Amino acid sequence: MNQGLQNLETTSFYIMLMAYTLSMLFYWAWIGTKKDLMGRFATYLTIVGLLANTAAIILRMIIAGRPPLSNSYEFLLTFVWGITSVYLFVEFRYKLKALGAFVMPVCFMILMFIIMSMGAEERIAQSIPPALKSKWITFHVVTAMFSYGAFAISFGLGIMYLLKFSRETNGKTAKSQEAGIISRFPELETIDELSYKVIGFAFPLLTLCIITGAIWANYAWGTYWSWDPKETWSLITWIIYAAYLHARLMYGWKGKRAAWMTIFGFAAVLFTFFGVNYFLPGLHSYAVSQNLIIV
Amino acid sequence: MKEYHEGIVEDIWRFFSSMKLGLILLGLVALVAGIGTVFPQINLDPQGAKAVSKLWQTLGFTNIYGSTLFRLLMGLLCINLIVCSIQRFQGIYNQTFALKPPESITSVLNKVQAKLKGESGTLRSSIETLLQQSGFKVISREIDNGWSFIAIKRRLGNWGSLISHISFVVLVIGAILGTTLGFKGFMMTGAGTTVPLSSINLSKGTVKQDFDVHIYSAEDRFLENGDRDNWYTDMAIIQNGQEVIRQTISVNHPLTYQGVTFYQASFANGARLTVDLKDQKIPVVLQDHGGNYFQAPGTDLYLIAAAIKSDPQEPIMLYQVYRGTGVEPVQKGQINLGQTIDVQGEYKLTLEGNVGFTGLQVKQDPGVTVIWLGCALLLLGLILSFYWRTVVVSGVFKSGQDSIGELTIGARAGKVTGGLQQEFDRLIQGIQSKREGAL
Repeated sequence: MNQGLQNLETTSFYIMLMAYTLSMLFYWAWIGTKKDLMGRFATYLTIVGLLANTAAIILRMIIAGRPPLSNSYEFLLTFVWGITSVYLFVEFRYKLKALGAFVMPVCFMILMFIIMSMGAEERIAQSIPPALKSKWITFHVVTAMFSYGAFAISFGLGIMYLLKFSRETNGKTAKSQEAGIISRFPELETIDELSYKVIGFAFPLLTLCIITGAIWANYAWGTYWSWDPKETWSLITWIIYAAYLHARLMYGWKGKRAAWMTIFGFAAVLFTFFGVNYFLPGLHSYAVSQNLIIV
Repeated sequence: MKEYHEGIVEDIWRFFSSMKLGLILLGLVALVAGIGTVFPQINLDPQGAKAVSKLWQTLGFTNIYGSTLFRLLMGLLCINLIVCSIQRFQGIYNQTFALKPPESITSVLNKVQAKLKGESGTLRSSIETLLQQSGFKVISREIDNGWSFIAIKRRLGNWGSLISHISFVVLVIGAILGTTLGFKGFMMTGAGTTVPLSSINLSKGTVKQDFDVHIYSAEDRFLENGDRDNWYTDMAIIQNGQEVIRQTISVNHPLTYQGVTFYQASFANGARLTVDLKDQKIPVVLQDHGGNYFQAPGTDLYLIAAAIKSDPQEPIMLYQVYRGTGVEPVQKGQINLGQTIDVQGEYKLTLEGNVGFTGLQVKQDPGVTVIWLGCALLLLGLILSFYWRTVVVSGVFKSGQDSIGELTIGARAGKVTGGLQQEFDRLIQGIQSKREGAL
């Protein structure tokens, strides 16, 4: 039965990969050609991808008998799910299809990272060390999933803002703008406000993510904060978004500067996940603890 | 002279009440914290930290989070947050609980604004009814040639920012309490042994509690599929010779007694032996890979378990015996279950079976409750700020002939206009339809 489920999970993964890849291409085609059919296909494919993504996560849960939150592959799977679900909400709620052209590439790149850097043995369900057997890790990773997903959306909005801003300040005429890709973007102020709203939604979740991580660490290792690189970089990410909110609310930092901060913030999100795992692994205390467990 | 001092105090107050200072300090904290992730830190990687160049060590780069600079930054940030909070308290209180209806059109909130024409009484009752139905608290007053009102909804949202700023100070207080008043230690103990709490290896603080820890058993359990389940320690607290509490702990399920928490941290295999020394039977437990040693009383012989085969049916131990400070073993060999060997003619040694060694992290942190309080306040503050946004609506009606006049109505909600505009438009539509209904 397990082999059958594993095959089904693998199939779901590849359907998701194809659907997300095609949706990205269709979003690009839509903003390029303005053909509504392209846009509809893009949205449908994103929905198909999300369904396959959900199926892959549920199947992994059944196979492993635990939440799928215990290794890089599983977290990236849920990260992509978080980005896509928040994106689809934004697309339907705010009628912002053009955002897909900037958000879906993030999902595509994460999936390419899985394909290119993780062998089959890294993707199968593995046993987890005792420290990871905690309900707090579920809360921790679920909050990370939604907050990181929402930050990816704000990143996409930041790129859109800068492209539109650049086009407008380069003195292009209104007519040529309308003919171009940028004409599919909402007004600058709308993008800016939406970006703020998305960060306003994600920031408390990031805080909750850090707090649940601290509670988990306290139960598992008797220390709620040990300044390991993962913790420290999540704090740095938190500080960047806190600075964004303060600068915006107190000093009216909107527009271009705010857009750059959303990009900078998402870069910190990516570094917290990828950078710490791949550039600073020797210093990551959790990795040290893992060794202790294994040895 | 007095004026001079007052001037200095004011300058200092102004300096610390600056939001710009707070942002700069946050940036510096992030920068210093980021640098700390590049250098191995002494608390996480002592070997790596020692391997770093002496210059960096001397400059404190390998203990950056315990450095004076980092503590100074955190201290300044706390002062900044406290001063900002005190400064803003009165304003927030007034905006929440001491709202006054505007006296003139120029005082009407202007984040979003609209004008409505109509009969005074109808307009007033429509607005007040609608606002109250929408959850607003309405305060109105009479003014020259008309009336004015102010209404507030989700008033606690105003406090979100202040609460989240204060929470940071609470978190720092919690951390200071934990650092200054608590202790942290580690014990590696075999099943069947009793250890006084005061004898554990401490890495921080001192132990004030006076009780013993008895380990009944330590197990490394596996699931049917061969995966590790967890490490389990059946342990008891002994106080004044009485067992006061007994509990099985595992990773993620610690035991707390008198503020001291025992966390399951690691596990090691061990061997249970009996030493027969001049007809005196001494029970001994030895940890695998020389984790501990046994010195027979009255001898200078040190016995260690170099390796243990932990098969419960057929345990085997490779042992080594050292004399005094000698670096080469004077005797070594293998001992099987139930087998008795002679050790240097001084005593007899029998292998009785396997035993588990449990590694327990032991910690007393009086600040941890304060930390959770700080976390709860932080979350509360952020939820109030972002998900419970206060909305304030105000308006002034100026009457013309026959009570017909114009109402200037405006609203604000934090610093955002997007969502507010929609909410405001709905409100205006509601007023108009209510007024039409009244007519």
